Amino acid sequence: MKFDSNDLYASLMHELKNHLGLLAMTIDSIPLQNDPAHDGVVDDARLLCQRVVERLQQALLIYKAANGQIKPSIDAYSPEDLVRELRDTAVSLARGRLEVHCGIAPETPAIAFFDRTLIEMALINAIHNALAYARTAIWIEAGIEAGRLTLTVRDDSEGFPEPILSGYTSDAPNRSGGTGLGLHFARMIAETHVNQGRGGELRLANQNGAVFCVLLP
Amino acid sequence: MAQNAVNRGNDELINYAALRALVVDDYPGMRSALKLTLSNFGVTKIQMAGSATEAISRIQNNTFDFILCDFNLGEGRDGQQLLEELRHRGLINLDTVFIMVTAESIYEKVAATAELAPDDYMIKPFSAEVLRNRLESILLRKLAFKEIYRHFKEHDLVAALHGCDRLIDSKPKYLVDALRFKGELLNALGRFEEAEALYRQIINMRAIPWARLGLANALHLQKKDAQAEEELRDVLVQAPEMVAAYDMLANVCLARNDSAGAQAVLEQGVAISGKTVRRQQKLGEIAHANGDLESARKAYATALDKGRHSVFVTPTDYGNLCQVQLEQGDLKAVAETLKNAKNILQASTDGQLVMAVVQGVAQQQAGKPEEADKFLREAARLRSDGASADAPLLLKMAETWMAGGQLEAADSLINEVARNAHDSDVLLEKAKQIYLAAGREDVGASNLKAATADVRKLNNEGVLLAQKGEYRQAVDKLLAACHEAPRNPRIIMNAVWVVLKCIDLEGMDEELLEQARRYLDEAARQAPGHSRIAGLRLHMKEIENKFGIRRRSAT
Repeated sequence: MKFDSNDLYASLMHELKNHLGLLAMTIDSIPLQNDPAHDGVVDDARLLCQRVVERLQQALLIYKAANGQIKPSIDAYSPEDLVRELRDTAVSLARGRLEVHCGIAPETPAIAFFDRTLIEMALINAIHNALAYARTAIWIEAGIEAGRLTLTVRDDSEGFPEPILSGYTSDAPNRSGGTGLGLHFARMIAETHVNQGRGGELRLANQNGAVFCVLLP
Repeated sequence: MAQNAVNRGNDELINYAALRALVVDDYPGMRSALKLTLSNFGVTKIQMAGSATEAISRIQNNTFDFILCDFNLGEGRDGQQLLEELRHRGLINLDTVFIMVTAESIYEKVAATAELAPDDYMIKPFSAEVLRNRLESILLRKLAFKEIYRHFKEHDLVAALHGCDRLIDSKPKYLVDALRFKGELLNALGRFEEAEALYRQIINMRAIPWARLGLANALHLQKKDAQAEEELRDVLVQAPEMVAAYDMLANVCLARNDSAGAQAVLEQGVAISGKTVRRQQKLGEIAHANGDLESARKAYATALDKGRHSVFVTPTDYGNLCQVQLEQGDLKAVAETLKNAKNILQASTDGQLVMAVVQGVAQQQAGKPEEADKFLREAARLRSDGASADAPLLLKMAETWMAGGQLEAADSLINEVARNAHDSDVLLEKAKQIYLAAGREDVGASNLKAATADVRKLNNEGVLLAQKGEYRQAVDKLLAACHEAPRNPRIIMNAVWVVLKCIDLEGMDEELLEQARRYLDEAARQAPGHSRIAGLRLHMKEIENKFGIRRRSAT
């Protein structure tokens, strides 16, 4: 019997995504019991599940990048809708442990042009990080800076470690647990967004906590 | 930094409890998980379907506001084929929310045309919050477009256009959506130059692929095909997976008389997404016309295979495959095709007609003229009872009659085909070739000339009378032309035009208007998507309004 490895790979990915989606939805359906010993475990499981989803998406992105296939599919989207969707996701993951704030700067355009799937992936990863390290709250914001749309995730943690801010993300550990991979991907995603010669950018800073900002032309 | 609060505040606009939802997924575990997710934010009226067939039967028997459908539905049709069929058959309208669930983000580019695109995509795995937000955004957008959609459904395209303009001026969030819809309306109204300007306006904001496709289409409709081709070729360099661009480019190539180019382009499209029945059918037709029988056979066979349960497959498709197999002299394959399709073809008189003609031709080729005659007699009987077939099959029938010596029947059938296609160079050339092969070139020339001359004369006289303002006489001439050529879209459209003009100026004649309405429906069947049809519908609507006629029912 002959196997087509591409077909096998595609079916495998398909099933993996189905199972993961199902797992996430199953965990979501576990009712809270106001008992930290129970609820804490459920919360951990949810966050962990989201992390696995994230890693899978990143793995697929690497696969595509290796085939030179990361071309953003740009369309018109509402930054406000995006921020609201991310806020709801963050609130659900925080489950009241942390405050989730969001805001739209008044001059933010009603619609902007970007690849929603890729941008969400970058921001969700930042939100997971923020939720893991924030002391009390995280902020999700949209705005505009010199003609570029800014999408920002901030927290009140101790901030990024120095090596990450200096740009040595490839071999430096990201704070404690992670590998800095997420930031690497976010930078890649931001930079694939090019418009009329201007490129996208990922900007990291420490300002009363960690500030993760994607700028899109 | 000053911040505006991001408040939901839309809950009073959306009543999730009243929303009738359908979840389509082949995997039972996923269906129930999605059902649970939806019920968590208040959607409780949920039905479920495990396949496209089941979904269609549910949609035929119920009304749904929201369909959440997985792209991958296992065996049978996929989610995209389901969506196309639902749109094509009018089983869902613009108010229905259709969200496609996919495992691959590449899908977005596959279904980039508005006609084929769902309202949104969800890429697996996704969370309840994302689903809720997407659904809410679409429902609010549909609310903003409510009046526009209502006008559109009533064929009042100009009112829909004004609605878009109001949205463009007042709701920046829906600017691009409103421009997109307006572009389609402008094309439907035949206002191609304005459509071109509009798409250029969008491209100035950002060169989104669908806007570039819209621009190419507007150029193509203005017969600026060289520019259209340049635009599409560049789109495909940027986004080679965008299959809609291959389809459009094939049409542009045909308009430029580059049928080899059209075939090459469609073959590329098929390589990326071969499941679309209509793409395979088109490839089959073009390859057949190019004399590439092997490619034509493959495409026709794939169309039948992929579209086994699809509305896009008709007896004509079986006829097409058989004709290629006959031309290849592969009678065994013809018999096999007919055997496999026996149940389907016997279910309708049109199908029986295809079978009878194909068997007749096959018997003739096998050197059994008596058998052939028997089948063709049967075909003639089916036709006199109202069965219809497309022109190429009828020409095949005539060709066989001619070969069997039944010259009168052959000439009369070819005459009929020619009358209904008096301006189709391809069909007339085919008819000419049949006469040439039979050594009856002179008879053919005079038969074809007579057939087309009558229709042409009546048509020209009618148009001339109309130009002189003598509408009543023009109507008589053109209705006579319609009687001669009841399936000739150009003639029928001229007749409808002049009837409407006549009523407009000389007063209502309800019987005449009803006749025009029937002819317009026939024209839409013969030449689907023809650029004049929307304009004529609009004109008809204006006449109805002017004389206070309520449209009985949508056709």
